[in-house]
Amino acid sequence: MLEGILIGLSTALTVGNLFFVLMGCLVGTFIGMLPGLGPMSAIALMIPIAASLDPSAGIILMAAVYYGAIFGGSTSSILINAPGVASTVATSCDGFPMAKQGKAGKALAIAAYSSFSGGVIAALFLLIAAPFLAGVSLAFQSTDYFALMVLGLIAVSAFAGKGDMAKALLMTVVGLMLSTVGTDQTQGVPRFTLGMIDLIDGISFLLLVMATFALSEALMAILKPKDDAERLKEKEASENLGSMAIGKHEVKEMAPVIGRSSILGFLIGVLPGAGATIASFLAYGTEQRLAGPKKGAEFGKGSVRGLSAPETANNAAATGSFVPLLTLGIPGSGTTAIMLGALIGYGIQPGPRLYIDQPEVFWSVIVSMWIGNIVLLILNLPLIPYIARVLAIPSRFLLPLILFFSLIGVYFVSFNTFDIQLMVIFAVAAVVLRFLDFPMAPMILGFILGGMMEENLRRALLINNDSWSFLWERPLTLSILLIAAVCLVLPFATAQIKRLKDSVYGRTREGD
Amino acid sequence: MLLSKDRIGGVLLLLFCVTYGLLSQNIRLLPFQENVAFHARTMPEVLAVLGIGLSLIVILFPGAAARPELRGYQWAKCALFLVLMSGYGLTIRPLGFILSTSLFLMIGFALLGERRPLTLVLVAVPLVVAFWVLMTQGLDVFIEPLPGFLKAEG
Repeated sequence: MLEGILIGLSTALTVGNLFFVLMGCLVGTFIGMLPGLGPMSAIALMIPIAASLDPSAGIILMAAVYYGAIFGGSTSSILINAPGVASTVATSCDGFPMAKQGKAGKALAIAAYSSFSGGVIAALFLLIAAPFLAGVSLAFQSTDYFALMVLGLIAVSAFAGKGDMAKALLMTVVGLMLSTVGTDQTQGVPRFTLGMIDLIDGISFLLLVMATFALSEALMAILKPKDDAERLKEKEASENLGSMAIGKHEVKEMAPVIGRSSILGFLIGVLPGAGATIASFLAYGTEQRLAGPKKGAEFGKGSVRGLSAPETANNAAATGSFVPLLTLGIPGSGTTAIMLGALIGYGIQPGPRLYIDQPEVFWSVIVSMWIGNIVLLILNLPLIPYIARVLAIPSRFLLPLILFFSLIGVYFVSFNTFDIQLMVIFAVAAVVLRFLDFPMAPMILGFILGGMMEENLRRALLINNDSWSFLWERPLTLSILLIAAVCLVLPFATAQIKRLKDSVYGRTREGD
Repeated sequence: MLLSKDRIGGVLLLLFCVTYGLLSQNIRLLPFQENVAFHARTMPEVLAVLGIGLSLIVILFPGAAARPELRGYQWAKCALFLVLMSGYGLTIRPLGFILSTSLFLMIGFALLGERRPLTLVLVAVPLVVAFWVLMTQGLDVFIEPLPGFLKAEG
């Protein structure tokens, strides 16, 4: 492991890579701060630049953008109560009330220290867990990978929330369908190309991500612009931050919260599909219960614990989500799905072999997490008063620029104007579906995993002489598929049990 | 609620899945491929069935009854931006990067309420030129800056 860390350090600590960490954190914070644009859009916007770099530098850049965007999202949650992403919604519960009390600087500092601690502690866990899991997963075969991908796709949908699971599953299937467009890899047959040469190579993942996230976010903002009062609030918040110093009393309060939330966040992050949002809310709820009635009542009114817990947990979960990506090649979230797409673009197949075949990529990602978190703390925090001015940029300038960067990002990779037209079509579809409250992240996950899933299933059938029996004869495959089935059934079952309980309870009450 | 958001989305995706299923039958298979357990049509056919099934579940058992609220949204402006983006795709080659992008940004700023012509030019043009210099000099990505008719004949 020590050797690995040294490899990582020697790769990540080159002048060029340090520059990319710096730039990534800064640009990520900048983009993440813009309400509506989250880590997924931020990473997507960076892919064209990352594609021109070597794999280690590209992944380091994207990882840095990821933490930067999460940090930036927290800033807009605290200052203007507009979380850029769902994972920072819990942050705004106590961060915004603190800002309203004139302690915006303090709230930002607490969020930064908590994010830093959560990220650093979780990176330590990742350091231990990833090589271990990579070693175990070397025994995995195509059949197990197929089952794992099924589990990953179902798990993401299972966490979608009450009533939304069917929609999330449907969007996953739509993503899988889009992944089948283009020439079939094994038999060389064109599929769903509609006779167009431009579709022979399939749909570019960058194009789909840009159209469904960056473009549609900007179009949604055009569709429903903010009123003047809101704009004024943003401008004022970005100008008056107050002191950023935090006292001994606050540090004492934060320390145990950070310890607990880091562990919780990391464990939740490792689970495919759970991710930073669930981790942040779970940490918030746990700390509220542990705080006791007196301190617990302060939650939602500007509590230090209430701000520290979700911030620690969402950063720890973001780090934890790298575990399945780096060791199994299965992304656990939409963001890591985009990173997987980028890695595949480099010709790198994440999974257990990555640890052995390209240790410099594997370890430099882990080491860059520490460097990224340090950069966020020592560079971004003092710069926040200046970076926050981005909130004051009028949207009439910002939105066309976002559209331009999204379009040109895709065009600069393919130099094909057909891609721009295709992006417009996907953006229209994405705006309509978002307007109807259909989630986009499961679709991206389905799209990224679709090709790999088909390939693994085909290979598994080939190995098993065209027999489907591997699905129930191989214990590991069967176990993973059973877990997937439980994930699928559990939300329905718990809803039914709750309904049954309610009806029995209601009848008893009526009887009384 | 008959016309809830979930149901409308479900119907749209049902249409998409049915079309996908029908198109999957156009995938050509060689005679020897038709009898193997897994061929180019297998995955699309399974996905079409799954997609149709899930769409029907969303339509028949919608999670939320919220109706789509069309008022308060700037649909026309959004449509104009879609036309603008498509137009940008059509003009980037014939007009060159600098002219087409400057026009795209200036029209975009104007559509969102910027009325001062000087501001439109002063924000868009320097930014586009700086971006072009950064891409060509910094990242070695060359893109034709000027329209074809302004290029020196070689």
